[in-house]
Amino acid sequence: MGPAPTVTVHVYGQLREYCAGASQLSVSARTVRAALEDLERSQSALYRNLCDETGKVRRHLNVFVNTDNVRDLDGIDTTLTAGDVVTILPAVSGG
Amino acid sequence: MADRVILTIGTKKGVFVAEAAKPRRKFELRGPFGPGVPVYSTLIDTRGTPRLYASSCNPFFGMKVLRSTNVGKGFEETKSGPAFPKDDGRALINIWSLEPGGGKKELWCGVEPASLFRSRDGGDSWEMVPGISNHEHARKWQPGNGGLCMHTIIRDGNRVHLGISTGGHYLSEDGGDTFKASNQGVGAGFAPDPYPEFGQCVHKIARHEDAPGRLYMQNHGGWADWTGPGGPRPDIGVLRSDDHGRSWRSIASGLPSDFGFPIVVHPHDADTVYVVPLEPATRSCPGGAPAVWRSENGGDSWSRLARGLPKKQSYFTILRDAMDIDHLTAPSLYFGTTTGQLWIGREGGEKWECVFDSLPPIHNVKVAVV
Repeated sequence: MGPAPTVTVHVYGQLREYCAGASQLSVSARTVRAALEDLERSQSALYRNLCDETGKVRRHLNVFVNTDNVRDLDGIDTTLTAGDVVTILPAVSGG
Repeated sequence: MADRVILTIGTKKGVFVAEAAKPRRKFELRGPFGPGVPVYSTLIDTRGTPRLYASSCNPFFGMKVLRSTNVGKGFEETKSGPAFPKDDGRALINIWSLEPGGGKKELWCGVEPASLFRSRDGGDSWEMVPGISNHEHARKWQPGNGGLCMHTIIRDGNRVHLGISTGGHYLSEDGGDTFKASNQGVGAGFAPDPYPEFGQCVHKIARHEDAPGRLYMQNHGGWADWTGPGGPRPDIGVLRSDDHGRSWRSIASGLPSDFGFPIVVHPHDADTVYVVPLEPATRSCPGGAPAVWRSENGGDSWSRLARGLPKKQSYFTILRDAMDIDHLTAPSLYFGTTTGQLWIGREGGEKWECVFDSLPPIHNVKVAVV
């Protein structure tokens, strides 16, 4: 098995203060789960905003790989290929 | 700096800070801080240099604790917030209470799902308190309408009283290492057994430092007309204990309703206690006419305080932590409403004025003189 592909994680504006202002982060991961585990190690403050104590993606966040919501793919076990963009956004809600 | 009256106002859209000189004629408003994010608990910590705290309960990005070291001119996140151990299986949903602990920097924090956390460094790091968080009852408690929340933390020397909705009243007599359910006389209207060991929907508990063993409780009342198993449960909503919370008795007689959320004790008189009766079905002001009710004899009788409050067409709710009283010689009461009004009740609630009338829905009001 070769090295894990390098993908880009796009950081939502409100969360950039938790990763020194970065709008994008580069990680090497074969799946979305592995990308999140990378963030847990390398960007722990950002990670706590994305996942709860049990490791689940927070309930009102949506994870996209390129333009697809991972819930329509294989969830956080969705595989990644080099150049993919992972975007994590708050679900639309109001009030 | 001359003494200032500081109010922290936790709302659905962040925390506001209001400040006035001691006469409390005009309040200056700052905020919102943590804008757009619900704040369910605040603390004005007057140990040493005043610090303000607010829980910032972000449904998208999780729970944070905000701290101000400049009396509410700005807030910053503490280095971390309470969190369950990774292998616990529970995840934080809300932060419902922040209270001072021992020394100058210890904080206690009640959360949803009902559990207790402690910080020894002013909120920068937190540890779960296992004696209650892993109590044998903990996985049997049920959420009330507001969630399964630990909303009351009262420290009294080595005793710690906790209020849980719905779990009931728990008492520690060893500084918080171990806890026992302590609900003798505390009724539950929503269960066939009217007096279970635990599982009551306690709404708020209050005490006075100069009355050892005395506690007042606003419980979930409104069950006088129940005709099902166990029979009617009149007057279970407002209670008093004189033995450190081991047993409780009703003091609701004379109130228009035994349903309500906050309960507040006068700072200079342990016999004077305030509640806000609400219609049980709607959780709003009876007949559309809001009033605070005061007892000056420990709950034996009650009088209505409504001078200056609307006389009709007002259907707001005052939530469990949305009323407080300052400690000045002639203290003022303050309450916030779910319709975003902040009221002041001067002279112990004799005369009411609306201080702010268009804030976001108010969850929490705390006051201190700093």
